[in-house]
Amino acid sequence: MSLFGQRTVIDIVKAGGTRPSEEFNADKLHSSIVAACLAVRTPEGQAEAIARDVCTATMAWCSTKPEVTSSDLRRIASRTLQTHHPDAAYLYKHHKLIV
Amino acid sequence: MPPTYTNIISLSSKGVRPKGLIIMAQKQQQFDYDIIVIGSGAGGSIAATLAAKDGKRVAIIEANTFGGESPNWGDVPTKALLHAASLYDEAKKGMRFGIRSSMLGYNYPSLLAWKDLAVKRTGAGGNRHYYEKQGISAYHGIAHFLSPHEISVSRRHLSAAKFLIATGSHWDIPGIIGLDKLKYYTPKTILSLNKPPKSLFIIGGSTRAVELAQLFATFGTKVFIADIHDRILSSEDEEVGTLIAKLLSEQKGVTVLTGTRILSTTKDGIMKRVSYLRGGVEKSIKVDDILLAGERVPTVDIGLENAGVDYSAKGVEASNTLQTTQRHIFAAGDVLGGQSYTHSAMLEGRIAAHNMLRRTPIEPDYTATPRVTFLSPEVASVGLNEEDCLRRDLAIVKSMVPLSIVGRANVSDCSDGFVKLIANKKGQLLGGTIVAPHAGEMIHEIGLAIKYGLTAKELSELPHAFLSWSEAVRAAAAKLG
Repeated sequence: MSLFGQRTVIDIVKAGGTRPSEEFNADKLHSSIVAACLAVRTPEGQAEAIARDVCTATMAWCSTKPEVTSSDLRRIASRTLQTHHPDAAYLYKHHKLIV
Repeated sequence: MPPTYTNIISLSSKGVRPKGLIIMAQKQQQFDYDIIVIGSGAGGSIAATLAAKDGKRVAIIEANTFGGESPNWGDVPTKALLHAASLYDEAKKGMRFGIRSSMLGYNYPSLLAWKDLAVKRTGAGGNRHYYEKQGISAYHGIAHFLSPHEISVSRRHLSAAKFLIATGSHWDIPGIIGLDKLKYYTPKTILSLNKPPKSLFIIGGSTRAVELAQLFATFGTKVFIADIHDRILSSEDEEVGTLIAKLLSEQKGVTVLTGTRILSTTKDGIMKRVSYLRGGVEKSIKVDDILLAGERVPTVDIGLENAGVDYSAKGVEASNTLQTTQRHIFAAGDVLGGQSYTHSAMLEGRIAAHNMLRRTPIEPDYTATPRVTFLSPEVASVGLNEEDCLRRDLAIVKSMVPLSIVGRANVSDCSDGFVKLIANKKGQLLGGTIVAPHAGEMIHEIGLAIKYGLTAKELSELPHAFLSWSEAVRAAAAKLG
């Protein structure tokens, strides 16, 4: 059972279209936001709270769309994260370039 | 419909292989469709029809009801009810002509049935078969770009060589404190109420807001209309807003709150309380319902980033030929964030279709696009208004004649209104505004004069029928000439 009690199935079309689509997993998004927050030394509790808010906002955006791309998800999540923690948002947005 | 390989096979079986033709056929087969139109409103519908007539494989996608906003929830239902309201209002005032109307009443459910009939009779609302009959594939669902040439509609992936974005616009929900905790209406939803509310607070002084204010006030609702600007209908000339506010408050008992900022909304028992700031004083009003009719915002949340199309909250960025930042994607209608009129969207739909189908691009000409507010009296304008001329630093001359000077005002016992014309120093007409019964019909002669560069003198030389409201146009033109 997902942390967010997710009911509707949202498919994520992977970047480049080379890999098959996968079902949206709110827990996976939650973990990635927590990881981004922790990487910029955010306290664990705060990171969890931010991740919960970001996931809720992202899922609200996704609710009317049965299929979105992984870059859509990253864009929407980082837009919400930006308001909570700009440094974590930068890291989340550009992690491929940074890592 | 998936492409077939018949043409290639038949050519190769005969041993004839015109190289260019096969390459062309293979190129076409890369996509499911030649053109996909996103949105079946005024702009999208006309473009899809023109493209299908041109022999292209076309698909149209609609997220809501086929036909879009105007025939389903916008112009058509509002005007159908406004027509009924105007008849009711005229009949109520019939006593001065010797018509007994003291027993006059209305049945709101029957009025709603009339509105639904008017919507049904337009043929656009929900008419999916209209497109299918023309060989256009119609899909129902929210379109979302996955890549520049591919969209997803209800998990179905569709690709096309070219796209037209005609997703239109939707009512903006302002970030007023407490609004998310109570029920409110937009012009799209308020017409489905099964009885007029006892009191209604309208936030916004746009064309639709003023039309609905008059509609509900005619049927007995106590209406408050609040706008942040110093007048309602702020896109029109100053005289228009002032006159309409006066007529609404004197004849319909509407409270017009101009220069008002809404602070918060709260629940107060079964009613709602709206707090606002006006002239530095904070006040609040208790009402039954709230209507949000401020402004419309373009519907751009369709994955445009995945397509590489630049946009902002104001709309999709497009060139004069309606081409977006992606050469194969065009846009038309309200999504461009310009003029929010059905007739402008139709014009843009036609232009976009031409530019998608032909090599020589053309540009839409908005010079004489009329703007009409269907009140009684109607408000219509065309071309530049006084503020536009000031902003452009144009040297102008203007004339304004009241309706009372024409014979029709006497025989109809109606003198609320005017005709205002603006011309340059040479007398060439630049703009015009009419507040009069049937102003929506009268405005087109001024539009024609503006489009073809006629002078006020030339317009005044045209005989206008005695006892027609148009005599006021001639009089205003004669004053300038």
